[in-house]
Amino acid sequence: MIQVTALTKSYGSIQVLNNIHFTFLEGHVYGIVGENGAGKTTLFKCIAGIEKHEGEITSQYSPLKNYVGFLMTEPYLFSKITGKEYIQLLCNARGKKNDVEQKNIFDLPLNQYVSTYSTGMKKKLAITAILLQENNYFILDEPFNGVDIQSNIIITEIIHKLKELNKIVLISSHIFSTLNDTCDEIHLLEKGSITKSVKKEGFSELEAEMKKNLVGNKINQLELK
Amino acid sequence: MKDYFLLQFTLITRSIKDLGINPFIGSLIYLAGFVGISSFLFYKTAFAGYAYILISLALTAKLSESNRINFLKLCFKDNDLKRIRIIENSIVSLPFLIVLVYNHQFIGAIFLLICSIVFVFSSFNTPVNWTIPTPFSKKPFEFIVGFRNTFFVYPMVYLLTFIAIAFDNFNLGIFSLLLIFFITLGFYLKPENDYLVWSFALTPKQFMLSKLKTGLVFASVLSFPILVALSIFYYEECGLIITFYLIGCLSLITIISAKYAAFPNEINFVEGFIILNCMSFPPLLLLLAPYFYFKATHTLQHYLV
Repeated sequence: MIQVTALTKSYGSIQVLNNIHFTFLEGHVYGIVGENGAGKTTLFKCIAGIEKHEGEITSQYSPLKNYVGFLMTEPYLFSKITGKEYIQLLCNARGKKNDVEQKNIFDLPLNQYVSTYSTGMKKKLAITAILLQENNYFILDEPFNGVDIQSNIIITEIIHKLKELNKIVLISSHIFSTLNDTCDEIHLLEKGSITKSVKKEGFSELEAEMKKNLVGNKINQLELK
Repeated sequence: MKDYFLLQFTLITRSIKDLGINPFIGSLIYLAGFVGISSFLFYKTAFAGYAYILISLALTAKLSESNRINFLKLCFKDNDLKRIRIIENSIVSLPFLIVLVYNHQFIGAIFLLICSIVFVFSSFNTPVNWTIPTPFSKKPFEFIVGFRNTFFVYPMVYLLTFIAIAFDNFNLGIFSLLLIFFITLGFYLKPENDYLVWSFALTPKQFMLSKLKTGLVFASVLSFPILVALSIFYYEECGLIITFYLIGCLSLITIISAKYAAFPNEINFVEGFIILNCMSFPPLLLLLAPYFYFKATHTLQHYLV
């Protein structure tokens, strides 16, 4: 279990997260949705322990950060490192040994420099690396972005498998259907606060409500001709 | 076009400010350094002219990198783009041209001038598809990236050791040994993303010790052929060879510690200046290395538990 209590984060005078409370349970997949700038990435960074914050985050594994696999929206990669070496680096960081070639489920050109990879390939590489770290908790910030449809299907299945293995998975995505396929619960983050939490049966209602609030009359405003 | 150069100027002054120095003073230091190093090199060696042509061409070639040119093509009309490239190449080549002319190397200066003009009409693809093998793959990343960026230097350094032995010049041999360490120091100048530090399931102390161990072992691998060759041919100077090897190791420990002491920022100008000065009097490194080491373990507490 991960318990988040009164999580608050500010950059100077700007408050990005405001008094957030969560309980994340094993074997559950949680979706975090919200507009750009709502604070999703900051929330993930705080839970992962990359950002300092107020409030408390606890888990049965301590320190929490050593058990989290964090997929960033844009994975950080070096220019002259190969895919295999990148995975090796992240596995070394957690003291894990793996047969990288055998576990290359996305068929990535692992012996090529990652600078030659497309956006989707970079994301798939980063996902492979955090999976091979054998983490207990997974934070996936936009895992479906820029990835081809075949790999999207594989990522969805991976998330199902992680749930089956009793892991905790947090996902953010701008594609609602991907959350619909994977999540047990979705939390709506607006201006740094959780304004709504819905279980699976309320997903379609939440999607309709978000569409109504976000799109509203904006398309008509364009006066497209 | 004016806006483009103003933006470039802003970027350069910003990067000087990031080093912790006033841009005007930084420019003066750069100018003085360039003049000083040029005078020293042209006084010391007959090959300085060739080195200056190569450095200048490498810098202008970098400006002709295809992705950059494609971006500029999208932003500017053909004529403006040509003007921008002529001005940029001139700014980069001019200091080297002046030094060459001042030292009466007119043929070299003309060659450099022609190449700079030709480069205006060319763009180069960075050769990224060929993976350079390294002996450091098991422990990414500093030595993997650093080795690939400098792989062409090692045969030259080893050749220098060979020349030192062939012409019985022990000092040149020691110089080649220190050169290896000097190159490896460069691998640690840029800080990595904080995500990569955060990923490690280590305490700050364990992290630092692991980084130092990897750095020292890999630097020793690169300097091993020189150490062995010098020890065989100058066995009576073994004590001196080991002393210089240890100075190299101590410098590496200092720079790795300084990198993480400044993390997530780069080592600033003042710290860099202090380190360089201490390297010219190595006993001071015995004080500086532990200072940076303890500062680094403190800084890393933010990322590692």
